[in-house]
Amino acid sequence: MQHYPILSIVTLFLGAFLTVIFGSKNETVRKFIALVASSISLILVLMLIKPVMIENNVIQYWMGNWRPIHDWAIGIGLEVDSLGLFFGIIAVVTIFLSIVFSFRYTEKDSETDKYYVLFLMLSGSVLGLVFTGDLFNMFVMIEIMTFAAVGLTAFRNYQEGALEAALKYLVLGSIGSSLVLAGTITIYSQVHTLNMAQISALLFNNLTPSTLFAFALLLAGYSLKAFVVPFHPAAPDAYMSAPSSISMAFSGMVNKAGVYAIIRLVYVLYHAMSFKSIQLLLIIIGTITMFVGVTMALAQNDFKRLLAFHSISQIGYVITAVGVSTALGLTAGLYHALNHTLFKGLLFLTAGAVFYATGTTDLNKLGGLAKKMPQTAAVFLIGAFSISGLPPFNGFVSKWLVYQATYQANLAPVTIVALLVSVMTLASFIKVAQSIFFGQMPKEFENVKEVPLSMRIPMWIMAILCVLTGIFPNFVTKYLISPAVSAALNVGKYIDIMMGNGYAEKILGKPVEIPAVDYVLAGYWNPVAWLVLFALLLLAVTIVAVAGGFNTASLPVDGDDSKYEVFFGGEANEYSHVKGNDLFWGLKYDLRHYFGFMHDAHSGIINDYALWAIFTTTIFIVYIFLLVP
Amino acid sequence: MILVNYIACIILIVLGFYVILTKKNILKIIIGMGLVDYGINLLIISIGFNPGGTAPIFTFSELRPESFFVDPVPQALTLTSIVIGACVTAMALSLVIKIKEKYGTLDADKVRRLNG
Repeated sequence: MQHYPILSIVTLFLGAFLTVIFGSKNETVRKFIALVASSISLILVLMLIKPVMIENNVIQYWMGNWRPIHDWAIGIGLEVDSLGLFFGIIAVVTIFLSIVFSFRYTEKDSETDKYYVLFLMLSGSVLGLVFTGDLFNMFVMIEIMTFAAVGLTAFRNYQEGALEAALKYLVLGSIGSSLVLAGTITIYSQVHTLNMAQISALLFNNLTPSTLFAFALLLAGYSLKAFVVPFHPAAPDAYMSAPSSISMAFSGMVNKAGVYAIIRLVYVLYHAMSFKSIQLLLIIIGTITMFVGVTMALAQNDFKRLLAFHSISQIGYVITAVGVSTALGLTAGLYHALNHTLFKGLLFLTAGAVFYATGTTDLNKLGGLAKKMPQTAAVFLIGAFSISGLPPFNGFVSKWLVYQATYQANLAPVTIVALLVSVMTLASFIKVAQSIFFGQMPKEFENVKEVPLSMRIPMWIMAILCVLTGIFPNFVTKYLISPAVSAALNVGKYIDIMMGNGYAEKILGKPVEIPAVDYVLAGYWNPVAWLVLFALLLLAVTIVAVAGGFNTASLPVDGDDSKYEVFFGGEANEYSHVKGNDLFWGLKYDLRHYFGFMHDAHSGIINDYALWAIFTTTIFIVYIFLLVP
Repeated sequence: MILVNYIACIILIVLGFYVILTKKNILKIIIGMGLVDYGINLLIISIGFNPGGTAPIFTFSELRPESFFVDPVPQALTLTSIVIGACVTAMALSLVIKIKEKYGTLDADKVRRLNG
């Protein structure tokens, strides 16, 4: 059991190397290696649930058995507490489903051996990041992650903009990595250790200007990796140009790695959430992130770019909830992180399926695909309902918790923004559903077929998980979220396991009690009742449709009767699908100054994006120096 | 004098960021990234430096009670960081070659097909 974490990481890296050696010639071999490596890693991590989540152990592993000497950590240690494991589970599920999806999805690409090598490296580095207990190891892992992610962004380099997106990602990513490295080394210069447990113990109530400076650098660096708003503009480009299975991995685990690092930093390393000003900083950037993300998404015309902006917006919810820093707020944040992985992964997979079937993701070219791809349309609707927060799907649960947490913390304006963002999310998914799956189908898509089974299976697994986490929030909270929240709020245990018993108690004092989240406050909301209502409505609609109640037969088909057709200037209009651009033009017109400003701000020039990142870092540094005592 | 190191590394980092922010040639932006990297490497080495310390490698005959080392950990970190920096530069340069082939220019103002 003690060796599971390191084995789960090493398996993925080993898979990458084996793919280089044996997989370069044979397609089957490389698929086999990728599948075996990702499933072994999945099984090993899932086997950690029982000891870590339920029995509440913390697993520690010293590389090369270099244990601490005289209470001083000298080796590199892995430490898996329930917070790390929570993100680990998110990562391995994403990896496994994404690999299964890519088997058929990448069949038209050449050189897929490089794809699997980079993908396995990306996966291994994310797992390494969430399982490590060493600050510098975190930097190395995040750098491997950026590196592999850039390679994968440019994988389809014949596509419009893929190279450009990769370059932007690389430049911004290495600015982030430089900030992280500078922060790490500044901490090292103060405390002379890199072990996170020991740093956490040494920094408690012991903040100097140097460590505060390091905090600002690390926070900015990890925010850049999580793509919160002023650092975000490389993200939509990268998500849009990468293959969809990779976009899913980006929003499912690369983003989450940044979120994990922020949580680890503010809660565990610095105990910073006792400062009101740090809470406020996280809540402000979170709120800005969710608002800017969703308004940018409203104006997009590309399916994947739109999803990318929604991804940014949902990360805003997570950061806001994490910033609230009560047990309820952290529960909301982690729950939303889990749900975001599920529904956004699902939506990116449907985007991949649409691309696989039609060869485009442009909202203005697609239409009426629900007739040809009914299963993709069904899972898309589940994903869209989930992200928009409709009950009984999972987005509702976590968004409700976010509203509740922010409102209880006397942050009513934030609650209102969160509600507004949720409404706009729904609006933009109405637009997507209308312009891709419903309405009139363009002539060139007559021969479109449903995607193959191996692509549908991951989508259905994600969809089922979306429904399950929506219907059984009590189980999810009890077995996954609450242990993770407890690990984030009770740092003492994390330190004790690594440094020996009693090390933390003399510094930290008593552990914090985690109140049980019982969903009593959720009012009249009963997920099972909503599911029954949903099923009844679905049944009713089906029965009416089957019984001919909608009477579709009486409508003219294929222009039997010209009086039902759409006319334009006296002439029958041949093709009159309501496109993505045609929806919400009133809203866009009324807010044209805002949209114009935001469009100009995302200018696509690397220098501008770098300026945003460095400017925001400066603001972080100044803010933290001025407001944190 | 160790202070010179700190001043130099801050100058390197600031110059690197200046290049990234103001130069429109993508190749120069990558040189800027390199400068930031070198500045941080110098910072790491300077943090581990003890005036008068020897290299952290010894044999039994050399070890005397009055001898002391420079901190070996930052040196290991610097090595890692240099390797990563070299990889990033190589990757960025390969991207630049491809961009030059595809766009026909290295001007950051023209390499902006993805925007808005």
